[in-house]
Amino acid sequence: MNVIETRDLGRRYGSKWALRDCTLAIPDGHLVALVGPNGAGKSTLLNLVVGLTPPTEGSVEVLGGATAGSVAALDGIAFVAQDMPLYRHLSVADMLHLTSNLNLRFDTVYARRRLDDLGIDHKQKAGKLSGGQQAQLALTLGLARHPRLLVLDEPTAPLDPVARHDFMATVLTSMADDGVSVVLSSHMLAELERVTDYLVLIGQGRVRLNDEVDDLLATHRLVSAATPDRLSGLDGEVIESSTMGAQTHQLIRLASPDAPLPLDCEARPVGLEELALAYLRESAPALALSAVGATR
Amino acid sequence: MTAIAALPTASARPVPWLRLAWVVWRRYRTMLIATVGALAAIAVYLVVTGEQMRSSYDAATACRPIDSTACMYKFNLFHNSYAQPGLIGAVLMFLPAIIGSFAGAPLLSRELETGTFRYAWTQGAGRMRWATAILVSGAVGVAAIMAAFGALITWRNQPLLDSGFTPRLHQTIFPETGIAAAGWALVGFAVGVLAGLLWRRVVPAIVTAFAACFGLEYLGATYRSHYLTPLTTTSLDQPLKSLTISQWWTKGGVRVSSDQVTSALGAVGAQFNASGGKITSAAAGSSNGAGGTSIDPTQYLIQHGYAQVTSYQPDSRYWPLQWIEFGWLTALALALLGIAFWLLRRRPA
Repeated sequence: MNVIETRDLGRRYGSKWALRDCTLAIPDGHLVALVGPNGAGKSTLLNLVVGLTPPTEGSVEVLGGATAGSVAALDGIAFVAQDMPLYRHLSVADMLHLTSNLNLRFDTVYARRRLDDLGIDHKQKAGKLSGGQQAQLALTLGLARHPRLLVLDEPTAPLDPVARHDFMATVLTSMADDGVSVVLSSHMLAELERVTDYLVLIGQGRVRLNDEVDDLLATHRLVSAATPDRLSGLDGEVIESSTMGAQTHQLIRLASPDAPLPLDCEARPVGLEELALAYLRESAPALALSAVGATR
Repeated sequence: MTAIAALPTASARPVPWLRLAWVVWRRYRTMLIATVGALAAIAVYLVVTGEQMRSSYDAATACRPIDSTACMYKFNLFHNSYAQPGLIGAVLMFLPAIIGSFAGAPLLSRELETGTFRYAWTQGAGRMRWATAILVSGAVGVAAIMAAFGALITWRNQPLLDSGFTPRLHQTIFPETGIAAAGWALVGFAVGVLAGLLWRRVVPAIVTAFAACFGLEYLGATYRSHYLTPLTTTSLDQPLKSLTISQWWTKGGVRVSSDQVTSALGAVGAQFNASGGKITSAAAGSSNGAGGTSIDPTQYLIQHGYAQVTSYQPDSRYWPLQWIEFGWLTALALALLGIAFWLLRRRPA
């Protein structure tokens, strides 16, 4: 079953396409990292998934067939938006009460216990909490709904390293305990490397990667050779190429994990961050091209 | 990892309205208390002046003999103290629409301005149910509060209405009393909600809603007296408590122009003021002084075959006119709220 399935999904704001030709299928049970350069359409995709934005073209289905934004979809998805919007003048207890009344299911006992563990005073106004506490409150409100899919838009961006660590620990615990699937967008590649097991990479408003992290790591190699022609016979796609001194380095996506490599070159596996960066860099210059295409 | 089970159909039922009602109450109780508090302060003023007005009026009506100088003085005192609506009258006139705008404009715009709509619209209830709960209770609440407030204004003005000094059809009383008050509150609310959705910011939404309400109040003030065809009379005594709309002169059943009236009046040196339909006898004073004869220009015209026609709305039409005003205001408010719902459903984040 796929928690998110999109087909030719596109969203246009005015005359500008924020996302286009997005076809995705994300299976359940993963912690999915959604990465891409700024303006690549990450937030647009998440807004489409949670039903905040209707698609301009194509379709988006969630939780195995529910239309995004339908009652069933809203009921099963918890969304923590960028900058953790909360009613600042309401107390923590009121935010809990409010969320429990806006949903059919809300685990007040779980929410209270978690906030107690975090040392968050229930009488405190939401706006008076620290950034890390606000993020934890927003996350708790989402998790107490016992969603089947948790969608997080840049959740750790405004947090300090400790708060960021605590936040991710909560997410991972709920994955282990409740089996909730998680999709999160982030710029923090190094940090995601440890926790994510599924990568979706968007560049130029379209999907570049949509794979399990293990598969990606198994099929990508950084190969180095004295001359570029030594690498020409490889069975794979060159993602990035650079020349440093006499050596040519190429990040290659092999057709299969056991595809043969030339004998006279060095090949080493790459980390997720390195891999993602190569795809992001590859997307960057092409942005200019797509802009020309859009105005034409 | 646990696999996701097939979608349970039970979870597809919507969140009950009662829970949403609690959400609305908790979110907006501060605003409600502040609004009711502000209105209570005005209400205290109205009650106090209402009581003063009553004692002044009672003193005048209880006075015997009724045409003595002392009694005339008491009536004059009552009239001079209370018959002019003044600043508070102007404020009260716009109050229902202003309160409506104040209540309606922040409802959607604050969520959009602060980004909390991303929280509110992704909860299990969904945005349309959430918006319905908020907008319906807001509209009903503000209409009910202003209708009650209108009843208080009616009570306060009762001596003025009884005395006939100010008809209840008067434009400083009519729109904020009866059910028209509820209609104006609804229109102010709906304009505020729609402006908030379009502007996505609280302050411009309130300003826009105020401007739109003043425009509508102007329309109402202009066309109110023509909701129903005015009655006419040639009697010089206006029917009690009626609202005079205009006056003109006829001769042999045909309307005569102001020039003709003026030239007819030339004999007695009076002037006819076309816009007000009134005769000003500034020139008459000098002719009196010269000729030493005193002729009432109105009587002069009547003796010469002219008739003064007055168009008016009788007091008995107060409720029909109220329903007409309430009707078009409510229809407009519902149309605006319909547009707001339509936009809200399609609105991208």
